[in-house]
Amino acid sequence: MKRFILNTVLFLLFASIFYIVVLNLWGYYLPQSLKPNINYRIGSYGHMYSRLSEVKNYGEVDILFLGSSHTYRGFDTRIFAEKGYKTFNLGSSSQTPIQTKVLLHRYLDRLNPKLVIFEVYPEAFSLDGVEASLDIIANDKNDFQSIKMAFIINNIKTYNTLIYGLTRELLGLNSPLIEDTIKRADKYVSGGFVEREMGFYQPEKIEEKEIVFQDYQLKAFSEIVEKFEEKGIELILVYAPIPRPTYERYTNAEYFDSVMQGYATYYNFNEMISLNDSLHFYDSHHLNQNGVEIFNEKIIELIESR
Amino acid sequence: MLFNSIDFAIFLPIVFILYWFVINKNLKLQNAMLVVASYVFYGWWDWRFLSLITFSIVVDYFMGILLGKEENQKKRKLLLWVSIFINLGFLGFFKYYNFFVDNFVAAFSFFGQDIKANTLNIILPVGISFYTFQTLSYTIDVYRRKIEPTKDFIAFAAFVSFFPQLVAGPIERATNLLPQFYKKRFFNYSKAVDGMRQILWGLFKKIIIADNCAEFANQIFNNSANMSGSMLALGAVFFAFQIYGDFSGYSDIAIGTARLFGFNLMQNFNFPYFSRDIAEFWRRWHISLSTWFRDYLYIPLGGSRGGTLMKVRNTFIIFIVSGFWHGANWTFIIWGALNAIYFLLLLLTNTNRTNIEIVAKGKIFPSLKETLFMLITFGLTVFAWIFFRAENIEHAISYISGIFSSSFFTIPKFEETARAITTMILVVIFILIEWSGREGQYAIEHLGEKWYRPLRWIFYATIIFLIGMFMPTSESPFIYFQF
Repeated sequence: MKRFILNTVLFLLFASIFYIVVLNLWGYYLPQSLKPNINYRIGSYGHMYSRLSEVKNYGEVDILFLGSSHTYRGFDTRIFAEKGYKTFNLGSSSQTPIQTKVLLHRYLDRLNPKLVIFEVYPEAFSLDGVEASLDIIANDKNDFQSIKMAFIINNIKTYNTLIYGLTRELLGLNSPLIEDTIKRADKYVSGGFVEREMGFYQPEKIEEKEIVFQDYQLKAFSEIVEKFEEKGIELILVYAPIPRPTYERYTNAEYFDSVMQGYATYYNFNEMISLNDSLHFYDSHHLNQNGVEIFNEKIIELIESR
Repeated sequence: MLFNSIDFAIFLPIVFILYWFVINKNLKLQNAMLVVASYVFYGWWDWRFLSLITFSIVVDYFMGILLGKEENQKKRKLLLWVSIFINLGFLGFFKYYNFFVDNFVAAFSFFGQDIKANTLNIILPVGISFYTFQTLSYTIDVYRRKIEPTKDFIAFAAFVSFFPQLVAGPIERATNLLPQFYKKRFFNYSKAVDGMRQILWGLFKKIIIADNCAEFANQIFNNSANMSGSMLALGAVFFAFQIYGDFSGYSDIAIGTARLFGFNLMQNFNFPYFSRDIAEFWRRWHISLSTWFRDYLYIPLGGSRGGTLMKVRNTFIIFIVSGFWHGANWTFIIWGALNAIYFLLLLLTNTNRTNIEIVAKGKIFPSLKETLFMLITFGLTVFAWIFFRAENIEHAISYISGIFSSSFFTIPKFEETARAITTMILVVIFILIEWSGREGQYAIEHLGEKWYRPLRWIFYATIIFLIGMFMPTSESPFIYFQF
């Protein structure tokens, strides 16, 4: 029996080392198609690398924006600056509360905002958070929070990418990147906003869907709200405008509103401003610059009327 | 609890350590612990259905005792039928109630009589078909006096609920498994290592082969109307590997896990896709179910002893019942009937026992004839799987007519070509390993036996790495859980 336990432990140790070594060689030398469960892309879609590089030296802000791509494509820091607010946009693609928590742990004290505008989107509560976790693992320095995040998400892709990323960081294999400000149709704006070249959306019918809350996403969200309360930071929850077909696809949207209202001041902009699906959006999710301007003006008006 | 989950990876070592280190000196405690562990394992899915298993255990335990005491043959028969009625009653209600209601309504409306009957929203308890058959085998064997009724309630409860094979088999016979609960188990190093190896291979089959093939099989079957003939044919092949990897992978994990606790379960799959005819295929596929039907249905019906008509009748009965066992859907019945037709051709020409030994035994390569027969058998099996996988008969027919169209000769186009090619390469590697290990109980049983330990460990670690690198990111349950 002792022999079995000893050999099992030794084998597990051997297999772990083997796994890490081969994973790194595999990740480094083979094309993406042959490594479906490693997705380590520095400077990938959404300018996350630039955003996280900038936040480290940004200083304190008046307003911090959090949330998904609706955030970094929806809150234009320049418009807020014109009105005298220093803001930072910490949104990231498909960001779920689990990633928001990690980012806050790293940057909240540094940014020390007076107000946080947290964009809440139903999908963010039903997603597993894998894709967004990969974005953070590849574009930020990893720490214990990354490991904690991986355990919560509990997905092989997140584990593999984290192991790969951590090894590269430990061995100093990541050379500093200078990410282009303009990438295809996207332009990175100081403060975290990404402006998309003007485009217009052709609305189409979208399949109906029910909003389902993942327990662990809701738990992370509650912890975030508590954190702001503890720190005495004012929090506003915002359901950013999306085209009508996308908005109306949710069969239980009222339920979502009622849940959000239970947490903090909540504004559902889909019910508050009237936008045109074609003129103010460039795809089924995101505002174009015309839409951004209307939305941002309205939110500034609300902030100032508090 | 799924074998391919983190929960099980934590559960198994805990049970193992308690079993061998804490209560290893007391057989009764060990058995009791296996019952508790099995209840936790099953209750992880839905604790409410534990009452069903408990009821089965209690009923069949007392039926066994009564059957053992009773000498009057008529009363013994009555007791047996009560047990069968109760066990199959539960199975029938949970699995077939809605099917029968729907079909009665359809039959009446065919004759112009509209009747109203409500179907129920019934959840099928996981593994009910498996443990019902296992516990039935006990009462039937006691009735036949092939086994003494047990007085050890805990041992009997452990036999019915034994967690490695509780939810998807192998469907054990009381004559094989129950006596193992009476004897003191001693830890055996080689047996435990062998168990670990079989678990590893089972995980590879399930996670890499079955789950990857499932992604393409589902994609193709769910959109079959828009697929070319070549894609549809590939979809059926993907499904063939999905179901084999899924089910035989589960059996390997079950057998391996049981070995860790000192138990020997029966082999459930014996390289069925290397069969040279359908009869051989059925001797190698889901052996525990096929032999169950043989022993408790086919032989009591007269088997192949009677005239031609009787042979035909009995063959159809067992294959159709076997199909129906898989699920309450006409597709399974057609699947069973199709296999019966395949089988009858051999039975009636007296060639159903031509290929008993494994193909090309002791050789590296099969002969051309063997290869040809293997390919034909595989083709027939794949064809039958279409009915098994299809949503309904119309779907199966349109799928098959899609294959037999001119687009069969077009090059298949996948949404994710690179992933499809990678999956095919993994399947080819899998077939080669299975081929090289086809004389063992499972493919890697003897592979690397004579290698130096570091090399052997590299091989096992490579399997683990491949699992980590190519496993689909969403957890998928075992197909046979739904049966």
